[in-house]
Amino acid sequence: MNQTVFVLGVNHRTAPVELRERLAFGNGEVIGVLTRLKAQSPALCEAALLSTCNRTEVVGVSADSALATRETLAVLGAVRGVDCKPLAGASYRFEGADAVRHLFRVGASLDSMVVGEAQILGQLKFAYAQAVAAGTVSLVLHRAFHKAFAVAKRIRKDTLIGHGSVSVSSVAVGLAAQIFDTLADKTVMLLGAGRMAEIAARHFKAHGVQSILICSRTFENAAAIAQELGGTAVPMQSLRNYLKLADIVIGSLAATQPILGPSEFEAVIRERRYRPVFLIDLGVPRNFDARLNGIENIYLYDIDDLEKVAARSRSERASEVERAEAIVELELAAFLKWLERLELVPAIKRIRLSMEELRDLELDRHRGWLMALDAEARERVEMLTRGLMNKVLHRIMTGLRQGVDGSREGLDTAELAGRLLCGGGRSHSFDDEDGSDSGDAI
Amino acid sequence: MRVFSLVAVIFYALSALNFGLARSGGSARWMRVGLTALVVGVAFHGIDLVVGSLRAGNLPVGNFPEALSFLAWLTALAGLVLIARFRFAVVGAFTASAAFVALGIAAMLMRRGKLVLPAALRSGWLPIHVTLAFLGYSLFLLAAGVSALYLVYESRLKGKHPFPVGGPPTPSLERLDFINYRLLGWGFLMLSLAIVSGSIWADATWGHFWSWEPQESWSLVTWLLYAALLESRLTVGWRGRRAAALTLVVFTVLLGSFVGVSLFHPGKHGGSFD
Repeated sequence: MNQTVFVLGVNHRTAPVELRERLAFGNGEVIGVLTRLKAQSPALCEAALLSTCNRTEVVGVSADSALATRETLAVLGAVRGVDCKPLAGASYRFEGADAVRHLFRVGASLDSMVVGEAQILGQLKFAYAQAVAAGTVSLVLHRAFHKAFAVAKRIRKDTLIGHGSVSVSSVAVGLAAQIFDTLADKTVMLLGAGRMAEIAARHFKAHGVQSILICSRTFENAAAIAQELGGTAVPMQSLRNYLKLADIVIGSLAATQPILGPSEFEAVIRERRYRPVFLIDLGVPRNFDARLNGIENIYLYDIDDLEKVAARSRSERASEVERAEAIVELELAAFLKWLERLELVPAIKRIRLSMEELRDLELDRHRGWLMALDAEARERVEMLTRGLMNKVLHRIMTGLRQGVDGSREGLDTAELAGRLLCGGGRSHSFDDEDGSDSGDAI
Repeated sequence: MRVFSLVAVIFYALSALNFGLARSGGSARWMRVGLTALVVGVAFHGIDLVVGSLRAGNLPVGNFPEALSFLAWLTALAGLVLIARFRFAVVGAFTASAAFVALGIAAMLMRRGKLVLPAALRSGWLPIHVTLAFLGYSLFLLAAGVSALYLVYESRLKGKHPFPVGGPPTPSLERLDFINYRLLGWGFLMLSLAIVSGSIWADATWGHFWSWEPQESWSLVTWLLYAALLESRLTVGWRGRRAAALTLVVFTVLLGSFVGVSLFHPGKHGGSFD
């Protein structure tokens, strides 16, 4: 009757993409797989299926999680025609506290390929909704998923895990946001049409930049990229005329010495009425003279500078991950406590029932002289016996709860207490009752 | 020290502390607490000023500490508007600390007892003239604060030590420059109106618009300096670091003249009306 949460899955770390592809389920397929699991795995009490491009996982609840895991594996293999052996080799399994921790970490994007990405929470919510629709979720998974959502939300709120950007392009955009109030009315100029410059330009476009100028050694190249990015190609010989329009210049030309230096920009900055210019030098060797950074309202970052900023924000994120992990542990402990108390419920119910029964029996036995008393006295005897019973019960409950907080011993003690109070012969009938209590899951 | 100003000082300190925490931790909760504390501080400070006005029968600005207290209140009020519009904890930290220091000094210097305004000052022009002038000063003070912030942020960006990318949002240079410009513009307008209203009042009372007494001369100097500052932006387009540095320089002149004149050459503006 002791139900355990387990996780069986493959992800980007354990399985090659070929296997993950075969195990990926479309949004419309999830309910079907869950229904099949329910039908073909008797050991499984509750289940949910999470399928994203980086992971396929079944979160389940079972009294015999080893058996349920095997059955689940077999069903998944059968659904997708994958041999169980390689599947078992590429998969990971977690049980009990580890499984719940894993679920929390997945939801909080601590297990993602890009830590801190926001999509996974939506995918987890979808998985939960599908499982609810399939009717394969009950008490434990309801609570576990809702906790996972709450943990993810709290981590997003209390740590900066979702904030830190780490690629060179996103650092460039982040720095631009520290210089410019908005990017919507800014012009980005690509000097040279290298791959990195293009990626950076796309980043800027995604953050609101609408005007892009492309200047390349061969005008055809510039025109091609201009078409792709929705920008304007500018011939190299008229670069100087266009320079004053550019708020952000991304340089990636192959050149042996700097293409632009202070002499070009002295006039430009005056013509721009001292509006700031952000120069991003992705070229090696560098496109911009380093002295440009000394000019008023010009901010020059070369590839090394950007890398340094990226590295700093990466280490920042690592410390945020530590904080996030601490939150997971905290919430995990709370959840496990709840789970253990949940396991106590049948035992406590059994003890209370048997005590009530004993009291009724005793009152019945003494019915003769009790009936001879007046109503008030009878009432007092009632009160006395009930009071005594409640006092004893209270002591037992408190003891059990304290025991449970510490270890599994508490549960055994609860069993033992239940058996002692119910008397050996009667316990079977109560077990049946428990069966009907928890059997409604699947 | 009066009770209400004491309470206001405490709330200003509390507000500055919370805005400071909001700056470093990036938590919205500190920001809310800081804002609330600032509002409460302004409210108590306002009550103190109302009580003072009722006692004196007019704006209680007859001596240096009283004037400083009124100036601190206007600064906190202007700061509140600024925070409400731009939502930057760092502006709150600056405003609240400025209000705390100014009111703290004022409260320490304040003497108990009834403040009697000289007959010449019991006029409807007093609140108009003084409020305009002090509002101008407090806007210039905020402009100086924003400019100092600009210089710090700008030097971090130039020195390749920017704030962590993707960390809690910080105001951009462009935004700070814009706020500075707007504050200067409004401050300049207030100062101009203060000079005009003062002249009209002087003419009504003494029969001449201008008497070249120290406060008047210094006001004219600062007015010219701020006019030049705005002019340089509008014509040549001086902005960014240059504008920020100049804002700080001109404000230093203003601060020096306000404190210096109040303490050493009181004249009519300092309470001598012979």
